[in-house]
Amino acid sequence: MRNRNIQLSALLGLLAVAGLVAPAWGRNVDLATVPPRESVQLTIYNSEDLTLVREVRSLTLKKGVNMIQYSWADTLIDPTSVEIRPLEKEDQIEVLDTTFPGDKPQHLVWHIESKLEGQVKFQVTYFTSGLSWTADYVLTADQAEKTMSLDGYVQVYNNSGEDYENAQVRLVVGVVNLVEKIQELARRGLIPPAEGPAAAPVQAKARRMAMAGAVARAEVAQEALGRPAEIIKEGLSEYFIYTIEGEHTVPNRWSQRMVSFQARQVGFEILYRIRPHQYGERPVRFFMLKNDAEHKLGTTPLPDGLVRVFRDNGRDGLNFLGQQKVTYVPIKADIELNVGTDDEVVWERKVMSVERSNFTFEQLPPLQAQRPPQVVGWDQTSNLREEIRNYKNKPIRAEVRHVIAGDIELKAEGAKLHDFHTVEFTYDIPAVDAPGHKFGWVYSYTEHLGRNAKQNSIRMPQ
Amino acid sequence: MDGRRRLRAALTALAAVILLSGGQTALARIKLVTLPVRERVEIQLENPNATLVEEERVVTLLQGTNSIDFSWSNTAIDKGTIQFRVVKMPMRDKRQGDHPSLVTAEGKVEMIRVINVAYPPDENALVWEVFAEEPVAARVRISYLIANLRRSFDYRAVAERDESTLTLRDYIRLDNFSGEEFGDSGIWAGFGPYFHREIGLNEAKQLLLNKFTMVPIKKTYTFDWQNGPPVPNEPEQRYVEMRYVLKNDKEHKMGEFPLQYGKVRIFQKDAHGGEAFTGEDWGKLTPIDDEMKLYLGLARDVQVKRQRADSTREAVRGNLFNQDVVLKYEVQNFKPDALTLDIQEDINRLRDEIFGAKDRDAEWKVEAEGTSIGLPQTERKDSRTAIFHVPLEPAPKGEAKVTLLTVTVHLKLLNEW
Repeated sequence: MRNRNIQLSALLGLLAVAGLVAPAWGRNVDLATVPPRESVQLTIYNSEDLTLVREVRSLTLKKGVNMIQYSWADTLIDPTSVEIRPLEKEDQIEVLDTTFPGDKPQHLVWHIESKLEGQVKFQVTYFTSGLSWTADYVLTADQAEKTMSLDGYVQVYNNSGEDYENAQVRLVVGVVNLVEKIQELARRGLIPPAEGPAAAPVQAKARRMAMAGAVARAEVAQEALGRPAEIIKEGLSEYFIYTIEGEHTVPNRWSQRMVSFQARQVGFEILYRIRPHQYGERPVRFFMLKNDAEHKLGTTPLPDGLVRVFRDNGRDGLNFLGQQKVTYVPIKADIELNVGTDDEVVWERKVMSVERSNFTFEQLPPLQAQRPPQVVGWDQTSNLREEIRNYKNKPIRAEVRHVIAGDIELKAEGAKLHDFHTVEFTYDIPAVDAPGHKFGWVYSYTEHLGRNAKQNSIRMPQ
Repeated sequence: MDGRRRLRAALTALAAVILLSGGQTALARIKLVTLPVRERVEIQLENPNATLVEEERVVTLLQGTNSIDFSWSNTAIDKGTIQFRVVKMPMRDKRQGDHPSLVTAEGKVEMIRVINVAYPPDENALVWEVFAEEPVAARVRISYLIANLRRSFDYRAVAERDESTLTLRDYIRLDNFSGEEFGDSGIWAGFGPYFHREIGLNEAKQLLLNKFTMVPIKKTYTFDWQNGPPVPNEPEQRYVEMRYVLKNDKEHKMGEFPLQYGKVRIFQKDAHGGEAFTGEDWGKLTPIDDEMKLYLGLARDVQVKRQRADSTREAVRGNLFNQDVVLKYEVQNFKPDALTLDIQEDINRLRDEIFGAKDRDAEWKVEAEGTSIGLPQTERKDSRTAIFHVPLEPAPKGEAKVTLLTVTVHLKLLNEW
């Protein structure tokens, strides 16, 4: 397995066991063996720029103290997180100390005392930044907009500075708390290199070519499967861990997108929302479904991600309806996708008249005989008319919400209160060729103003 | 696509031979490369904010895993939206050993499967790994959103000489600055006809979506005191504005689809079989059954002077009062045609004109007494807008003088303080 920047080296030298002082190794001339990675596991978090890397490497130890050097030039590894532990014969091996030499950045030395001589598997773990993953979804509704297919994807990005070949990839959905950013820890104390770390253009091109080969090699395991790698989902406390089947190569600066799940024949409802305070003056169309078994989903929460919504146009092609970011959708929670306005559904609202009544007067100071009592409270009744026109060849359901602030008495048939100052109407409007596809309704509300205002809420007389 | 084409997006199928040896993987980099050409392009313009392009290509797949490389340059393709779909997916019955994730609810298995997608750095490219159960020439559609391939709409309206009807041509215009050219492409706006055209690089194409003939129109003359253009040095006058009003419904020989926002160039047939350009306006998005109002300009031959003839306060109680306002309009029609003048008043602003700005809507009514036109000619458009429809006689022929028509409207503003 190739490591580009991370190296574990067993330094060959005579060590003074007692006190580990004055090893007989030169300052500038070293001889080292470089044991390769045998396996690597990446656990990538999406809430923070954080990846836990577990490498397994075999070291051949001699009896006594062994000096192991670990370096990670031009990567984003948090040096405080690097740990090594033996995976076997733990009772005979002890990590004595870890030294970060002051004159070498991105570099440490472990002294490992061994009671045996021979090959031992070690696990090296560390946090790195620069690896990340995102989820995204492609939703394709059928032409009649009754059912949809929903494909979930995960895309892994590697900007860590290191190539990870044939890695087991695990993705964590959930929020973890960090008191310091890994990227800051990685950069802390770095001595800037005299020459920039970026490769010359020719080298970079050569590297891209090489990486293309590496990616191709990584697909060997998947080719054997002949199908997209399965993503195994597992709940753990407040987190969900997605483990991607097989091994994957994620070269530095590449990204890879894999199928996370596929749901077919997923039923959904369409709802038109009219909320001028939230969506503006035009009805907005929503695809409504749930992340549950009834909708052929519900095996896992859906991580934050972009949903792109298409519709089968009936000619082997697609229409693009829109895209929307969804935030984490727990199992059994609603999924509401805003697919934009629709020119075939029209809504109008008019205030037809206002009337004032129930005046309250008060003699305000200064008390002058000629000054009449002043209006300090009154009621104002607004009479409104709304209309929804449906020009689609199928019935629609429309939900209208208005925020009416103040002390309000509402007279509106069929209305209900969404909250203390929001009224909601829900209507089923027939298709364009049916009577009633132009549906209008009237209502009124009285606002108590000035001294007449006693509270700030809507009341609906029974 | 002809020989002039400058193909920017390229699709390459790499038939790779992969050798397995002693647990180590090695890749023979000798490849047979096929270059599947675009056989068809569909441009979907239904979404006003994003244009979807679908390319149809026949991709020859070997049995096993195929690398399909898609790259583009000088075009703004949204990488995240690129999809690879097999048009007529070959299916087979499920077999023992099929992974459950492959089996559909109907017990079938898709024989071509996209395994994953890799995105190289610093390149406009991606590589699909596609598995085929058997060698096949698959018809696939590659779809993506592309920037700078934009739609817009414009209209050409030609009114008859008597301005009672017009012919409206509705065009879709496609501006292609996407950096890519498209051969014989299907073009669909979401309504109207389905087109097949070539779209060249940096080319704009205007396509006739529909032609509505003999569309009945209404020509309106509006005097709007609060919003109309003032007449220089005539503080009591405003210019009268003219509009054509087209109703987008079947009765008016339209109503097939919403008319999209766009520029309307307006012409009128002249006496010599030609057309005169009479102006242009932006037509708003006009759903079915709504009206598109097209501003034509000023009617200089209709003159209106407005005065507030009376404004009397009537105390109700305390500081509460009603206000009787009489508005007087002196109207002269110098045109040889009869017409209806619409006098529009914003009552909130009229109230503010009298008492200063208030933060409440006006409560008002039109009183029959003191109003010289019949109440049916008065219209409450909404809570703050009144329109008075005044029929005007044509200007007399010969030496006779144009009559001065005086219209009074008595408005009562209620419950003010």
